[in-house]
Amino acid sequence: MTRLEAKKPSLCKSEPLTSERVKATLSVWKGIVSSCYGPSGRLKQLHNGLGGCVCTTSQSSALLRHLSVTHPILKILTTSVQNHVSCFSDCGLFTAILCCNLIENVQRIGLTPTTVIKLNKHLLRLCTNYLKSEACGCRLPVDFGSTQILLCLVRSILTSKPASMLTRKEIDHISALVLKAFLLTIPENAGDHVILGKSIIVPLKGQRVIDSTVLPGILIEMSEVQLMKLLPIKKSGALKVALFCTTLSGDLSDPGEGTVVVSCGVSLENAVLDQLLHLGRQLISDHVDLVLCQKVIHPSLKQLLSVHRIIAIDRIGVALMEPLSKVTGTQPIGSLGSISPSSYGSVKDLCTAKFGSKHFFHLIPNEATICSLLLCNRNDTAWDELKLTCQTALHVLQLTIKEPWVLLGGGCTETHLAAYIRHKTHNEPESILKDDGCTQTELHLIAEAFCSALESLAASLEHDGGEILTDMKYGHFWSVQADSPSVVNWPDLLSRCGCGLYNSREELGWSFLRSTCRPFTPQTCLPHEAAGSGSNLTVDCLTAKLSGLEVAVETANLILDLSYVIEDKN
Amino acid sequence: PSSMAAAASVKAALQVAEVLETIVSCCVGPEGRQVLCTKPTGDVLLSRDGGRLLGALHLEHPVARMIVACVSSHLKKTGDGAKTFIIFLCHLLRGLHAITDREKDSLICENIQTHGRHWKNCCQWKFISQRLLVFQTQTLDCIMDQYLSRHFLSIFSSAKERTLSRSSLESLLEAYFCGRVGRNNQKFISQLMCDYFFKCMTCESGIDVFELVDDCFVELNVGVTGLPVSDSRIVAGLVLHRDFSVYCPADGDIRIVMVTETIQPPFSTSGSEFILNSEAQFQTSQFWIMERTKAIMKHLHSQNVKLLLSSVKQPDLVTYYAGLNGISVVESLSSSEVSLIQRIIGLSPLVLPQDFSQREISNTALVKFCKPLILRSKTYVHLGLASTRTFIPHCIVLCGPVQGLIEQHEGALHGAFKMLRQLFKDLDLNYLTEAKDQSDTSSPLISTNSRESNQLPEIGNGSLQSPCQDTAVKNKDKWEKTQTYLKVNSNLVVSNVELETYIPCSTAKLTPTGTFQTDETVRCLSLGKYTIIDNCEPLIESNSTVNSTTENTMIEISYENLQVTKIAGKGSMLPVRCKLLDVCTSRNYCSSSMSAGCVLPVGGNFEILLHYYLLNYAKKCQQSEESMISMIVANALLGIPKVLYKSKKGNYSFPQVYIRALHALQTNQPLVSSQTGLESVAGKYQLLTSVLQCLSKILSIDLVINVKRQPQKVCDQDSEDEL
Repeated sequence: MTRLEAKKPSLCKSEPLTSERVKATLSVWKGIVSSCYGPSGRLKQLHNGLGGCVCTTSQSSALLRHLSVTHPILKILTTSVQNHVSCFSDCGLFTAILCCNLIENVQRIGLTPTTVIKLNKHLLRLCTNYLKSEACGCRLPVDFGSTQILLCLVRSILTSKPASMLTRKEIDHISALVLKAFLLTIPENAGDHVILGKSIIVPLKGQRVIDSTVLPGILIEMSEVQLMKLLPIKKSGALKVALFCTTLSGDLSDPGEGTVVVSCGVSLENAVLDQLLHLGRQLISDHVDLVLCQKVIHPSLKQLLSVHRIIAIDRIGVALMEPLSKVTGTQPIGSLGSISPSSYGSVKDLCTAKFGSKHFFHLIPNEATICSLLLCNRNDTAWDELKLTCQTALHVLQLTIKEPWVLLGGGCTETHLAAYIRHKTHNEPESILKDDGCTQTELHLIAEAFCSALESLAASLEHDGGEILTDMKYGHFWSVQADSPSVVNWPDLLSRCGCGLYNSREELGWSFLRSTCRPFTPQTCLPHEAAGSGSNLTVDCLTAKLSGLEVAVETANLILDLSYVIEDKN
Repeated sequence: PSSMAAAASVKAALQVAEVLETIVSCCVGPEGRQVLCTKPTGDVLLSRDGGRLLGALHLEHPVARMIVACVSSHLKKTGDGAKTFIIFLCHLLRGLHAITDREKDSLICENIQTHGRHWKNCCQWKFISQRLLVFQTQTLDCIMDQYLSRHFLSIFSSAKERTLSRSSLESLLEAYFCGRVGRNNQKFISQLMCDYFFKCMTCESGIDVFELVDDCFVELNVGVTGLPVSDSRIVAGLVLHRDFSVYCPADGDIRIVMVTETIQPPFSTSGSEFILNSEAQFQTSQFWIMERTKAIMKHLHSQNVKLLLSSVKQPDLVTYYAGLNGISVVESLSSSEVSLIQRIIGLSPLVLPQDFSQREISNTALVKFCKPLILRSKTYVHLGLASTRTFIPHCIVLCGPVQGLIEQHEGALHGAFKMLRQLFKDLDLNYLTEAKDQSDTSSPLISTNSRESNQLPEIGNGSLQSPCQDTAVKNKDKWEKTQTYLKVNSNLVVSNVELETYIPCSTAKLTPTGTFQTDETVRCLSLGKYTIIDNCEPLIESNSTVNSTTENTMIEISYENLQVTKIAGKGSMLPVRCKLLDVCTSRNYCSSSMSAGCVLPVGGNFEILLHYYLLNYAKKCQQSEESMISMIVANALLGIPKVLYKSKKGNYSFPQVYIRALHALQTNQPLVSSQTGLESVAGKYQLLTSVLQCLSKILSIDLVINVKRQPQKVCDQDSEDEL
């Protein structure tokens, strides 16, 4: 039956970007995202009138998930950012702000979209080539021999999410834990093909952040009563494990497509239970010590097992199945009949643990790449934020293993990149243009729009009305507090640049970020000692930022290319 | 009054078409931009695809709906040209409208007035609509074959083997994607498609590969959101859109089987009744099921099967035993995935006999590898399917920041395969050549529409009413033989044209030697890879025969760098032919064909050429309606290049280009195109016919009845069921 419904004709709007309403919407949206950016970003509290919990956040993933946008252009923008975040976890706000800035700046110029798109593409290629090249002056190699850079990376991520409400000390603690959890997922003797394990985040809300910890193996939460029941049969030493993925509740299996006629007096439930008990006896004779079941275990079977000092834990849930199978080295059993001995696995030890008010069974593996990160925070909203942050950090560490480089954070990469592009477009415009039918003037206009988009992105890090400067040697980002007196001697007010690599002792030339400065050659190729210089650097993930940059420019190009919006109002 | 009402309907149709034109014209051509469509579900779609846009509009006007329906049926066939369709239709309607307007005013110059008067006399829209169909089936084919074909280039670097060089494919695809994909990614997508094409093709590949890819395109690509478009790539083998249920790593060649039902025997089968009398019976049957499943999986293991593909979800028991036996399992394959695998490696589903254990399993196949492929933290099954004689399986991984963009690219790539599929086919052209003196006889309407070539002989006999009937028929038969031979031998369009010139003259001269010599000619044409044939004018003039044609001086020039075979005929053949036709007294059916791979440079070349020849044709037409229709079509054709050159200035503006082209045609110089791309002639031709059909449909309607109630089901069997 087809559903019939009066179809309304669609609404068709031409040149959507020129409308004032769209411009206003875009700038409001940009205001929201850019005010969240960075360590001193403002928090947003999101209430949903229809229910659900209140969310306090400054992260793009949480923000965009709760925000509902209606305008098609904003939809494109938000989905684009969300898709980026689901791939890389990090740099969502970076992408969103850059994209908005580009659209805004380019619109002011008023060149045709064809030219703009072409030139934006050239500039993007210039950026990506530079960031990937050896000569790049804003990236550091990651030395896996020491934890310094990795720790900086995790700490930068934690610092940039103020809604987790962590103190300086807590940030240090959590960064160390996250890094430890990550290192535990790396297999010890890896061949050519490394398969990383998994860190399972276990919630412990209402505890002090300092109580957070990381443990190898898996924690299975259970009530105190259950635990007390199982406690007497606790054994120590290596245990033989059976892991069931099929139900052991005594349900009848699928009868097939035909009819099944059951004669009077025949009880199929008994028949199935018989089968279960038979299975139980096999487990007993195979000397299994621990039975885990994804679904429900029939009470009679449980009783039988406990009589024979076998620990049975049911209702594990599908999420834990894969890690469990990995930790114990078992094959999830899907049969009620005979069990092949090869599907049993083992754990090194089993113990009970109590964290806060929660009780856990702790499976300690012989050798596995699964660990549990017990994460504590004071309240629900802060915990949610912290969990997201830790997931981001873990993901970013994985990405960094694949591409062992980090970019300088704290706005320095952006200002440095802007300086580099300015310098390139002024000195070698021919090499960028090739033969594309664009003039040098057009290139300069677009390059200026591109650079100022990058610079105002860096400037969004400053929320307290402070002044932002850039030096004329490295092209790094320096910020001055708002209430400082207007003096001539900048170095007195500045201590370190955004990423923390340079200090103001050096003889540097200064310029305001948003003023039009003459192009200069930013110093490329970081000195070797830079990598080991500071334990207090602010760094960003290269993979995520590079992709964020590409996605931002691509999305901006896409939106600039729109000539019509057709809205289906049904 | 009825004509008045109909005239109003042309006006209404024009208004509707003009609205549609304004929407599509912003996306047309290389300067076109994107359109964003939102769906009621909240999805957003980016598109430059005319068909998609028109579909998204949800139009209410009945004429608009009809136009959109026509467009979509055209797209189903060719995958290209929706926007051009609307623009062309709009211009045709404008032309028709202008004529009726002029009639009312009646203050125009003599020539048109006479036309106009006649027009008024038979101003029945239905009549015009029929005329349009006649034009489409007769005149258009004739013009295409006799005049236009000499300008065609071939996309193949070697016509005989239909080999395609990368650069010519590139120029074809770049022109195609120019109109389909956002400016940001045109070049990249075109390169991707090119790579894909050459990675999938073997030297023996033919049209069947296009059919395969076109039919199964959804299965041959994977979309990944959140990554930049430039991360899109081609992977060898087949990527299934799901994860393993069980994965057991294995090296080397992997034997696979495919099943379409659960391996575990069902407790009871449909239509049967299973009576349980005791608990023991139940347990025994459960036990039997288990044992049999175990035995089957063991057997598969013993036959070295390492991968089980299943179109249904298998019970836990099966996946458990699969894991124990080291067999990977992929479940819930869609039926199209199953059929794709069947088509590529010819693996048919496994049916286990009762006594399976004694037999070898015959329905297995080998794959080179089978491993998980992780794209954006989602796992897919990656199968290294072996290549067949004609197809090397590859998949496209399409990345993009948003789903809407990926869909756009997917649609464009799919459309490109549709276009290539059309391009690789020969296109039949059938038409009636008629003696021009006999204008007093009835119109060429006798020629009942003869699109199917197998009907040809019959109709041919029927319509040959001239004294020399017998000879003509013989002539035709013979000629057809030559024709088929030609078709087999080569794709050279010129040869067809040549042949047609002498057939109407007389049979006697078509001697066996003559035929032989023609073959010779053709053969040497097809041998030379890059040939330019220059027909000398005087030779044709001397009442041409086969012999004289073969005497034509042929200048064969080999170009090392030219990728497309250029067949340039001299424009002066045109008047000569007319003289020849004047001499003849009989009408003949010509069944010619446009060979596969015919292309023209982009930038309105096809339209300008056809415009020129149609105008020439119209001047010579004795029947005023026919010439009028030719004029209207000819002028409407210019609408397309006008849109394409809209933004160009100076030397590249439309009037300049047009004048240069006309001048070149009149002085028999080759046309010079400022653009490098190529486009398929067959696609353009089909577009033209679709538009003309749509127009004649619009014109033949005299009343639109608006019904407001739920559509009723048309059901024949209802009455029977009630009994």
